[in-house]
Amino acid sequence: MAIEDLRGLFAEQSLTFLAGIPYVYHCHHYNLFHDQTIDDALGEVEGARVRTIAAHNAFREFLSAVFAQAGATTPAERISLASEVFAWMGQGKLSLSVTPGGGAARSPSLHYGYAWREKYGSRVKRTEPADAVAAGFAAAATELAFDLPLDSISVIEHRCVAAREAECEFALTPSTGHAAKPAIDEATVRRYVAPPVRGVDEDRIVQISNGLLEFMRGVQGDERGLVAAFNVFVAAHLPGYYNETVYETMHRVERTAVDSVPAIEALMREAGQVCVFSTFGNVLLSPEWEGLVGPPTGVPTDVMSFCTAIARGLGFGHWLISAYEPGKRLVLRCTSTYEVPFYRSRYGVAKKPRSYFVQGAALAMMVLAESVKWTERPQLTNNYYVELFRGKPRYRVEQTKCMMRGEALSEYVVDAL
Amino acid sequence: MDRYIEQAASEIPQLIGIFVTAMPDSLLFSSWVRDGTEWSPEDVAAYFGDLIRANRQGLKALGSWSSEMQVTIESAESLVVLRELSSDFVCGCVFERSAPLGMVRLNLKRLLERVGQALPKVQAEDRPRGTRIMEFLDRYAPDPHAVTLRVSLRAGISIDDLKSPGALSVDQVRRLEETACKILGVHQLSL
Repeated sequence: MAIEDLRGLFAEQSLTFLAGIPYVYHCHHYNLFHDQTIDDALGEVEGARVRTIAAHNAFREFLSAVFAQAGATTPAERISLASEVFAWMGQGKLSLSVTPGGGAARSPSLHYGYAWREKYGSRVKRTEPADAVAAGFAAAATELAFDLPLDSISVIEHRCVAAREAECEFALTPSTGHAAKPAIDEATVRRYVAPPVRGVDEDRIVQISNGLLEFMRGVQGDERGLVAAFNVFVAAHLPGYYNETVYETMHRVERTAVDSVPAIEALMREAGQVCVFSTFGNVLLSPEWEGLVGPPTGVPTDVMSFCTAIARGLGFGHWLISAYEPGKRLVLRCTSTYEVPFYRSRYGVAKKPRSYFVQGAALAMMVLAESVKWTERPQLTNNYYVELFRGKPRYRVEQTKCMMRGEALSEYVVDAL
Repeated sequence: MDRYIEQAASEIPQLIGIFVTAMPDSLLFSSWVRDGTEWSPEDVAAYFGDLIRANRQGLKALGSWSSEMQVTIESAESLVVLRELSSDFVCGCVFERSAPLGMVRLNLKRLLERVGQALPKVQAEDRPRGTRIMEFLDRYAPDPHAVTLRVSLRAGISIDDLKSPGALSVDQVRRLEETACKILGVHQLSL
């Protein structure tokens, strides 16, 4: 069975699935910023532990579904298929050498470690490994290959490309297992979406997002297991990883360091900004986009529609423009996101708006629509990001409705200051 | 001061820029750059100041520091010479790469004398360490746009307190410094 055949689409909600488990695309700028924020909140040791557990859980759910759909039953089949899928996702090429008692894994090119070295390696000396996602994947793959219970294998990355080693290396050892939580699968996701609503410029957005979804069908890891596209490293990723890390960390900070809540909420929003600037922005400037939509016009209403279409095309959910007055106000709504099903099924109803990622994304869409001279094809560098987003804020965002809070849909209002 | 530098620079055709950095904070004091050069004098002056400080500490660790030290950098595009004019000022001169080293040395000697004579006698202000750490992070942290939030989260110092880093308590400065080291991946800050 080809990996492409595992794809599924909940078209009217722009949600994508692999073997019935949600997946989305994010770039390395977002992924590294996300992980950095978790570590900023919890410290390197606890941050790595939380991230590894989240990856372990997410890949356990995912690989279990992949093996079932592909009819992979033997350890050799399962290990081989797991490595193939991981590389296909753009997460890297990982060699697993394991038995039911554990073993080792190694890779010269993992999405996180490799991209960290590319982005930060010349500026910061890192000593801690960066590949909690690959670590969690390796543990989950080993357990499932030998039909072991969840958490019966623990894993530590003891060499990492981000720490200037030639290869990443992981040690897998036996551990005490425990029961798995129910998977967040397509059936669960369908319980936590609202009926789709048409927004401004809906027909064009649908047409473009369908084109982008079709384009993304052809995206897969290269010989390194990495996806270099749109001037960034892109990876297909499991929302379960993002959601568990974000909300476990948020909840812990709220319990133990309430004064730090504003800082972590702001950083989570900033991750959304980073995503829109780096991924959406580079998609808009790419030859692939020009082939799909045409050259950039720089017209703010176009940029806003295009960003909404990109969000849908990457599997972020049914984002729609409820109202947009260039330079003044944006009202963005979502009838589905990749965060809501996880939050509602794991934690119940939230007490306050919790969709930090889309909050930051909405604000960044406003900035991209108003402040970037697209026709001049600017380089979307870190310096340009700082220029756009640092200094006196020009907009503020407020999430006025939240499906995690039990409301019918999520709404984000961006106003000029 | 800028006028003196401009006059001195006009006599050296292969000179591209001069940056006078006030120490110990590595702040731009004065500069001149050739027309058509798109450099940020504040950034260049700050990096040159930090470079001199690191060099001084490195030489002291080797037991071979002297106040006459000079740093010469030969890059593909330019020849950079950094010199401590006094304990308060560092001068960085950027020449075209094709400039003969002998001519550079000759011109540099005259240039530094003129610049040195024009410098004021100053009493270095001991600026708060908290302020200097935040400025250092601003220059070197990998995500400068997020550095205040990151410091707040890691060090447990409120965002409001970080808006006035000069007023941080001793304990807050200690935590700020530890956090800065962690963010930058260094054991100590060169301040």
